[in-house]
Formats: sequence, structure tokens, C-alpha cells
Amino acid sequence: MKEVTGTIRDGSPVIALSGRIDSGNAPQAEAAIQAFLAEHDGSDLVIDAEDLEYISSAGLRVLLRMRKSHSGMRIINAGTEVYEILDMTGFTQMMTVERAYRVISIEGCEVIGQGANGTIYRIDGDNVVKVYNNAEALDEIQHEREVARLALVLGIPTAISYDVVRVGDSYGSVFELLDARSFSLILEEQPEKMDWCVKEYVDLLKKIHRTEVRRGDLPDMRETAIGWAQYLKDYLPAEAAEKLEKLIRDIPEDQHMLHGDYHTKNIQLTGDEVLLIDMDTLAVGHPVFELASMYNAFIGFGEFDHDRVTRFMGFDYKVAAEFWHRSLEAYLNTGDEATITQVENKARVIGYARMIRRSIRRGGMDDPDKKAEIEMWTKELLGLLETEDSLVFTVNLDAENDDDEKDGSEIELEATRDNLPKVMAFVEEHLQQINCPMKAEMQIAVAVEEIFINIANYAYGPDKGNATVRVEVQEDPVAVVITFIDQGVPYDPVAKADPDVTLSAEEREIGGLGIFMVKQTMDDVHYEYQDGKNILTLKKEL
Amino acid sequence: MNIEKKSEEKKLELLVSGRLDTTTAPELDACLKESIDGVEELTMDFSDLEYISSAGLRVLLSAQKTMNKQGTMTITGVGEPIMEIFEVTGFTDILTIV
Repeated sequence: MKEVTGTIRDGSPVIALSGRIDSGNAPQAEAAIQAFLAEHDGSDLVIDAEDLEYISSAGLRVLLRMRKSHSGMRIINAGTEVYEILDMTGFTQMMTVERAYRVISIEGCEVIGQGANGTIYRIDGDNVVKVYNNAEALDEIQHEREVARLALVLGIPTAISYDVVRVGDSYGSVFELLDARSFSLILEEQPEKMDWCVKEYVDLLKKIHRTEVRRGDLPDMRETAIGWAQYLKDYLPAEAAEKLEKLIRDIPEDQHMLHGDYHTKNIQLTGDEVLLIDMDTLAVGHPVFELASMYNAFIGFGEFDHDRVTRFMGFDYKVAAEFWHRSLEAYLNTGDEATITQVENKARVIGYARMIRRSIRRGGMDDPDKKAEIEMWTKELLGLLETEDSLVFTVNLDAENDDDEKDGSEIELEATRDNLPKVMAFVEEHLQQINCPMKAEMQIAVAVEEIFINIANYAYGPDKGNATVRVEVQEDPVAVVITFIDQGVPYDPVAKADPDVTLSAEEREIGGLGIFMVKQTMDDVHYEYQDGKNILTLKKEL
Repeated sequence: MNIEKKSEEKKLELLVSGRLDTTTAPELDACLKESIDGVEELTMDFSDLEYISSAGLRVLLSAQKTMNKQGTMTITGVGEPIMEIFEVTGFTDILTIV
């Protein structure tokens, strides 16, 4: 029967399933599989699900029976829908299930970034791929996608991965990143831009630290740091180790966001917009934890061997030290050296604890250079533990202009075509949160694209201007309401005459379809011009 | 979006996957303009197309106009959400969807 095709690949039986397997044909499918296995058996059974569209519980039971007799059975090439079924029913926990991923090659691609977990390559003018070091990276990729989405919804500018691909033996996450340059590269090539970089760097840092995160959505840095202190009990004098743990425990819990790896290679300038990449370290906690990891990136890791900073950052230790000092000055909003040193010392306590633990865990005690470095850090840490009685400080995180502040259900950005993916990601994130049906999601997405592109193309003529997109969810009846606000020329798209959709291809005009689709698929489209603003509201009942 | 191109004499088959939107539609348009000369049988396979907006429809309309002069154009593998868009815009009457 056509649902089952058996072949031998590399000496193992491979059963390709196709179409639908449900109670109507599961017994026949099982018989066909048995017949094939009777002649070509082996314990490493592979089920190829590439052409499988749907499998019901009757089909799943067949798979379970197969697995009883073939403990090494695995399923490959599962498409999105089949994978979801297998995931929901727990099959992905019971056996190896590989999803079908697009395969790309990074041969000859430029390396544009290097993080702790992977390398970022530019695939073409618009897209980059982050290839993970670890071949079992799917969980990490999933985690990073989730936290990046979470950050974006909370108003943090970041690149969102739109696809997961296979790259050689590992996996990669694909992002859109137009002509991006990292702040490290800018500081290296254009040292005169130091002032500008410091300001943008600190503005974004404050914005992250002002962002409140729902409890449990991100890991708590305080907990993590308590773990570091406990690890060092075997290494530091008992009294010092105890004080370290107490100092960290005394830092109050804090539900504000931390980036966790906030250095200049992870900040990218694309066009005139500053974006964060490498989001997998996102956490919550007191800002002192962030300053600790920043101190490490710019100073700590290079304190013993200054060249290490140059190798990692691209610019030299002196530039790193100046950038760090000026950023701290701007972050704390003070020129008072005593205050700056005080805060820096608090950050250093946590910074050293983290570096020492990391180096010991990586076998640093067995390497004479690494051992000397650990000893130097330890000496600094012990000195600080004698003088520091608290790791807490206060900082005014207010933005210089308050209109920068926005809540999660609204984004304001420049009305350009290049910003479309950001608007789409923002809206789609909200729709996914409320489990919007697929058909409605597509219609809303099409409508949002039409309206935003219209604003980008026409609202400001050749000039630049912003657009605000707001997403609200109403109850009873459940509806999604999306509002677009711009300050461009007054224009009422609703008033536009509908195209005649009964005409033949020859008679049809190329334009005018977009707004028509919006009007057809939304339940309400409302326009008003108020206080110099175009306000367009779309409503879609779910 | 990703386009896979197969051509054989006067036949051209395009497998279009991913999102066909404002950002990606010019790519499909360019691909068609570059390969459509002399083609008498154009097939576009949308089995893996996830999304289409009016920018994508415009490219299809323009391709259909060209093909009306020189041969046939067929769209295959259209999923339900995309079919819905074709229906709303009257494209089901213009395009040959199988």
C-alpha cells in the first residue's frame, strides 16, 4: 500500500510513511511494515516522516509497537504538524525525533560575531546565521528564540530569529540583520565615535534595567551567583567564602531585566538603529550583576593578559578600560570618581567570583599561566571582601526623554520598509500569546503589512517619520484591535474605492488590492485624523 | 523566502517557500523577469509557502499577464490560508490553481 515504503539505507531498514495514517488505514500500514521487516530486519529502524501529513492515535499505537521490537527506532524528517503531534503525545521524550530542517552552507561566509555559544556568519546582504557550537543545540536555540521574543515584546530592540536550519552537523538560527556593524568594530575603526557609542550603549543598558519581567519568565541572577559563591567554598578561606555568599544573599531580589553578556560585540548598529544580539543570557536581578559581567568583558578577562581583550574585542585594553570607565560614569550619572570606584568595587566582587569559578571548572589550576591568573584574581577578591560590606547601590535609570518609555503592547519605530519584520514579529508574538487561529493570524498579518507599508511608502513623502503600532485584545467577543498612528499627510485609506475583483487579469490594475484585502478580512476598519495624526484602527473578531 | 528553480526546454517550475511579502516579493519578481522569456509552461509550487501579502499578489498578477501572451501558468499546492487570500481578492478567477 502506498502509505508505507520500505528501503534499506546504510544497512538499516527505513520505513517511509506518507499521507495520512489514521484508524482507517493503520492496520494495513502495520501489516505492510511487518511484511517488509520480516524480510529485512535490524534493530536500528528508521521511520522517515518526510511525506507524512497526519498521524492519528491509531497510527501512533503502530509506532509504539514497532518501538517495542526495535529499541533503537528513531523518527526523522518530521514536518511541523507531525512534530507537534509527536511532541504533544510525549513521543519526542520517548525516542529520537528529528525535525525536517532546511540545510544551508556557510562555506565562504564572513564571520561577523562570535559569542560564547556560537559563531555568527553573514549569509547574504540581509541575513545572518548563528551556528551553535554544540550539535545538540536545538534546546538552546529554542530558549534563545523565546527570550528574544519576550524581550522584543517588552520593548527591547533585538533581532528575532525567523528560521532554524541545519548547518553541517550542527544547527543554526537565522536572523535578518541589514548591514550590521558591531560597536566593537566601530570603536576599533572609528575611535572618534567613542562619545556616541558610550551614550547609545548606556541608554540601551538603562532601558534594559528599567524593564520589569514577570516572575519566573527569566532565570534569577542572584540564585546563579549564590551558586558561584558556594562553588568557591572549596577554594577560598572559609571566612572569605562565607562573607561572599552573605554579600550576594543580601542583594535584594529584583525582577528587572539583565542582558547578562552586555559587551560591545553584542550591540549592533543597523541603519541608524541599535540592536542587541546574543540574547540567551537574559536574566533578572539587581544591576550589580550586569556591571560585574561588563567589568569582566572589558577589564577582568584582560587584567592578567592584556592581549586577550584585543583578541576578543578587536580594540586594545586601553580603549576597553576607557570605554568601561566612561560607560560607568554615564550609567551612574556622575563625574565623582569616589562614587564610580565604590560601585566598580561592588561589581568586581561578583566579577572575580564568577571568573575564578569558571577558570577552575575549565581546568585552570592545571595550567601554570591560568593558575597564576586565578591567584591574581583571588588576591583582588580577598582584598575586596575585607573592605566591602554591601554590594548594593542605587542608580537613577530614568531615560533622558521620557517619551522613549513604552509598554509591551505598543511599539514606535521609524516608518520604513526595513522595519516591517520588526512590526510583524511584534504583532505575531501577541497573536501567538492568545492562541489566535491560523487563518485569522494570517489575515491580521496581511492587514498589518499592508497598512504599515502604506505608511512607510506614503505618509512622510521623501522625509522620515515614525509610526506607532498598538495591539490590544478585547474580550466578549474576543477580538484583536490594532491601531496605527503616524503624523504624516492626512490620508484615509478607507475612502479609497474598491478595485473590481471580477475583472480578468488583463483588465486588472496592479495596485489597490492591499487596502481592499484589509477591508474584506477585518471586521472593522476605522480611520480618523486627530491632532495632526492619522489614526487607523483594525478590528478582527476571533 | 526561498525559490527553487527547475527549467527544462520551454517549461519552468518554481518552488516558492517561506514568506512572500513586501520584503521578498521583488526577489520573486526579479527571478521571473530573468527566466520567463520563451517559457510556455510556468508552474509555481506553493506547497511550502506560508504567507502571501498584496505585494506577492502583484507579482503573480504581472506573471499571469505575461504568461497569457506566451503560454500557461499553473499554481499548485495552495494551502487553505493562502487559498482564502486568493478567494477574497478574486484571484481564484484569474489564476489557474490545481
